[in-house]
Amino acid sequence: MGADNVQYLPLQIEALLLASDEPLSIARLGSLLGEETPSSDIRAAISELEARYRNRGIQIVQVAGGWQLRTAPEYADLIHQLWEIRPQKLSRSAMETLAIVAYRQPATRAEIEALRGVKVSSQMISTLQERGWIKVLGRKEVPGRPHVYGTGKQFLVDFGLDSLKDLPDSAQLMDEDEIQQMVMENIEPHEEKYETDTEKS
Amino acid sequence: MNQAVQAELITHESHALPPVHLDQFDGPLDMLLHLIRSQEMDIFDIPMALITTQYLGILKRQDELDLEVAGDYLVMASTLMQLKSRMLLPRPEMDVDGNEIDPRAELAAQLIAYEQYRMLAEELSERPRLGRDLFLRPIFPESAKVVRPLPEADLDGLLIAFRAVLKRVGGEVRHRIFRETMSVRERMATVLDRLSKGSIQLDELLIDEPGREALVTTLLAILELWRQQSITVIQAESLGSITLLLKEAPNGSG
Repeated sequence: MGADNVQYLPLQIEALLLASDEPLSIARLGSLLGEETPSSDIRAAISELEARYRNRGIQIVQVAGGWQLRTAPEYADLIHQLWEIRPQKLSRSAMETLAIVAYRQPATRAEIEALRGVKVSSQMISTLQERGWIKVLGRKEVPGRPHVYGTGKQFLVDFGLDSLKDLPDSAQLMDEDEIQQMVMENIEPHEEKYETDTEKS
Repeated sequence: MNQAVQAELITHESHALPPVHLDQFDGPLDMLLHLIRSQEMDIFDIPMALITTQYLGILKRQDELDLEVAGDYLVMASTLMQLKSRMLLPRPEMDVDGNEIDPRAELAAQLIAYEQYRMLAEELSERPRLGRDLFLRPIFPESAKVVRPLPEADLDGLLIAFRAVLKRVGGEVRHRIFRETMSVRERMATVLDRLSKGSIQLDELLIDEPGREALVTTLLAILELWRQQSITVIQAESLGSITLLLKEAPNGSG
């Protein structure tokens, strides 16, 4: 492979990204561009493209293990006008259910209900499933063998995440034991409440 | 003394709580968190008597309770009242190791866990989302693997599309009554068979139907399949074309 090819690599990738309707991974780009193309060259070419696309109306975004060309979020309103669409709003309860599945997967419906303190309707589950945001991963081996849910690839694509590791704030999320401990350490013994008063005076 | 005055002030303020409606909340935990956070109460020292009164007050003020929604709220109401009465016990409860248990610990933990996800959900909502804030170039080459957003179609959309097809086909106008020569059941099988080969546009499916009766039978078959949840009906935009596809069995492969 001569230097010529490397020179055109960013342009080839740019063309592929424009024509693709799903994110293209390094491996997929490699197979399209010819197996001899070293993945380091592809990476370098993508970095170059990313730099070129900074401050543009379209962006190159790394999602779901690949790269994709998308319009910049600042121009959402314009596109809504162009397509005459008003994107559906999702209810807060649907988003909470999605968040619980995303951060806790695998999660059963009963676990989601326990966390939210409300029943989760089948309709909401199927709405999230139809969008490809959640999917059944299998069954939990407990009585009743309930379905366990996790996020689907479309979740990463639609929310602009490269992988589940990129979920915002997942490091700060406390699990049950941590919460339990935090409560034990902080809870105010209710009987001593009025004793503080005498201390003050 | 100081605290007594403060406590009174809080109780006083509680009467001035802005009126709220259950619809605003996403369940009892959401409502409790609202009460706690908006009054800057300490989640580790929830004033059970006050919060129970406020909580029940909101429930009482609802004109009508949707039973399905109300159930979750009523369960929480009874939990609150139970906690409130346990707080009145003179001797604190002990766990197996002899440590004092605060009856409110479990509720506090539940609220904290819920609040985390409520916050994460908000963050996810605000994230730029494909199809809402960001868009792809809308060209879909013919490929079986293309994933498109699937908004729900409604019955009206289906009927409007059906009417459009009827108009185009120019169905019989004379009114005659026949014995059923075409069975809906049979037609359901045909539609399912056709859909098993892949999704199909409603127009495509109806275009070859000979005459009005066949059209109606097929439409009935589609409605029945839809009702049974064997198929999904999608309309990507209002007045746009309608796509039918098989609903995957919940434990199907893939």
